[in-house]
Amino acid sequence: MTTESTESPAGAAVRLRPPHHRVERRALVWWTVQSLLLGVPILAATIVGYVLWEAARPWLVVVMAGAALMTVVGVAVEPRWRYAVHRWEVTDEAVYALTGWLVREWRVAPISRIQTVDAVRGPLEQLLGLSTLHVTTASSKGAITIGGLDKDVAADLAERLTTITQQTPGDAT
Amino acid sequence: MTGRTPGDEPAGIEDEVARTTSPVTDQAVAGPPWRRLHSRMIWVDVAQSVLALTPGAFAVWVLGVEPGDGGWWPLIAIAAFGVLGAVSDAVRWVFTRYRVTEEHVEARTGIFVRSYRSVRRDRIRSVDVEAKLRHRLAGLRVVTIGAGQQSAAGEAALALDAVLAEDADELRHLLLRRRPAPVAFVDDARPGDPVQPGDGGEPDDGGAGSDDESGADGEEQVFARLRPRWVVYNVFSIWAYILALGLLWGGHWLGTTVGIDAAGFVVGALDWQSLGWVRTAGIAVAAVGAFGVVGMALYFFVEYWGFELARVPGEKGTLLRTRQGLFTTREVNRDDNRMRGVEIAEPLLWRWMGAADTTVITTGLDVESMSSAATILPRGPIGVARSTAAAVLGTDPSPLQTPLARHPRAALRRRLWWATGVTASVAGLLGWLAVTDVIPPPWVWAGVALWPVALGGALVAYRALGHAIAGQYLVVRSGLMSRSTAALQRPAVSTVAIRESPLQRRLGLRTVSAMTSAGYGVYEAPDLDADDAVAFATRAAPGLLDPFLVQNDRTA
Repeated sequence: MTTESTESPAGAAVRLRPPHHRVERRALVWWTVQSLLLGVPILAATIVGYVLWEAARPWLVVVMAGAALMTVVGVAVEPRWRYAVHRWEVTDEAVYALTGWLVREWRVAPISRIQTVDAVRGPLEQLLGLSTLHVTTASSKGAITIGGLDKDVAADLAERLTTITQQTPGDAT
Repeated sequence: MTGRTPGDEPAGIEDEVARTTSPVTDQAVAGPPWRRLHSRMIWVDVAQSVLALTPGAFAVWVLGVEPGDGGWWPLIAIAAFGVLGAVSDAVRWVFTRYRVTEEHVEARTGIFVRSYRSVRRDRIRSVDVEAKLRHRLAGLRVVTIGAGQQSAAGEAALALDAVLAEDADELRHLLLRRRPAPVAFVDDARPGDPVQPGDGGEPDDGGAGSDDESGADGEEQVFARLRPRWVVYNVFSIWAYILALGLLWGGHWLGTTVGIDAAGFVVGALDWQSLGWVRTAGIAVAAVGAFGVVGMALYFFVEYWGFELARVPGEKGTLLRTRQGLFTTREVNRDDNRMRGVEIAEPLLWRWMGAADTTVITTGLDVESMSSAATILPRGPIGVARSTAAAVLGTDPSPLQTPLARHPRAALRRRLWWATGVTASVAGLLGWLAVTDVIPPPWVWAGVALWPVALGGALVAYRALGHAIAGQYLVVRSGLMSRSTAALQRPAVSTVAIRESPLQRRLGLRTVSAMTSAGYGVYEAPDLDADDAVAFATRAAPGLLDPFLVQNDRTA
């Protein structure tokens, strides 16, 4: 069998290079606002609880500190870190994305197995002119999501991928 | 297309004939008549109603229970439940029609909400024939047609409840024998095919098909039959206690209804006071456990009586068939062309006795359901599981028996860190609760006592790790409570992912996931050495990662 070919004889290990393209800089704003939308209501709720409900203060302090930390990290650290990590690339054979901040994930899906391609735009993304590309394969766990793309780029990609997918024979399972 | 082939053959010689016959075929396409489910169901429903009324009648006329007694309501409930069930079943019969056309299986049902369902015949992946006791007594069968429903989306398979046993057989043959669409992956390790899997990778859809047709004359290959001693592997579980308690409670309740004081008999049988509560509890646990074990053994035989796993020929491609059941018989046929691998799971608590569950990794079958169609063997000895899996895969040597590569020691360290971290947070939480007087202080020690258990678990989980590439298959093994070894066909892998958490980055580890449309959808090799991870991922999905690889220029 030819399975051994990928292990190069010299023992020099191969590694994955990162995908070519970064996401838009506007994604920084998108991630920051998302963190605020999640963190601020929780923080506000705990503060209200702290003021009104005296008996619960000892443990509400813990929750409040947690929420405050989460919000600060989510605003000050997470977006920049994500921007430094997130990358994507679409070739004629595969879709390749690197995502995450604390936990990083490299995902590669072959174009021949793609089942659906969607460019999704939430309200925030519409304001910022961003779009999220959502590529699903026959595996329920195998979807690839690339957020923070320019809306035109995402639309073009979706169209291109759909065209290529239609030309590929087979039932993609 | 395929349905017309017989008519097309003379058409090649005489065009006129073809033209005159074509309206007939078109009519056939337009639809055979709709059929009802079998009318014998009505009689079954009547019998069920009578049976449901019997306990009440028995209580009133024979035992002389006065209506209005406390024990009266359950009998009414039984009667009402049985009769209503039977009536609704009969109503369903009146409004249900089905038919099998050239392209589809269609069913219409419902009174207020009329529903129409059609399943494309080339999408049909399994046809189950099942019969509960009442069906068997009436010679009826329930046919369930599975067509790769998305179980997550809550779609159910199309069930015909019920048709005559002969009709069920006929339906099964009809629906599984014809396979018009070419299949993306041909299991190139066909049984009885001595050719090596890699041998030329012969593009022989037709060849393999004709092979099977020649062998289609009832030649079946039996892989496993029930061995009574497997019962040992199936009686010891927590379900034994749940079953026993349920039965005992039910018996007690029934006893009080007809005036037998079972509890009083047990209380009077021994002088419990003098035994003390420890012995009393011991005797109770042992007695209930023994009762439960007997119950589980009976259940096992009722469920798996006459169990047989066999590969039977279809017209194109073969089927993996299981038959089982004493009162309720169940036959499941799985299309071999949909099979992508095999998984063997060994539960931690019974690993010393070598118990193993065997399932096939198949597209379009629901793996999460309790009586999963993916299960091809009852729980039994690991040796039988391995040899049966090897026979089912048809590859030699079996991918499930290839020696697996150990994972680096760092993987153990990661698990030890996690065990310590979890223990520390539990102990910390308990400590805080103790300080704030929510719980008594000694409880904190319970948190600390968790540590050795967690460390032991970490070691067990580490020792379970393993991975390998064996021919066409990728093999991964992992799991603490249930160590599962999965062999998955590499061409079936679609998405490949490599994941790295902060702790993994520090320890130089990465997790490789191979996503597929079959089975659980994702099969993971956790905590490989960072460099090995890329190599393993590259081999798991041949060719997929190649454009994105670079030589590691850093000196290793």
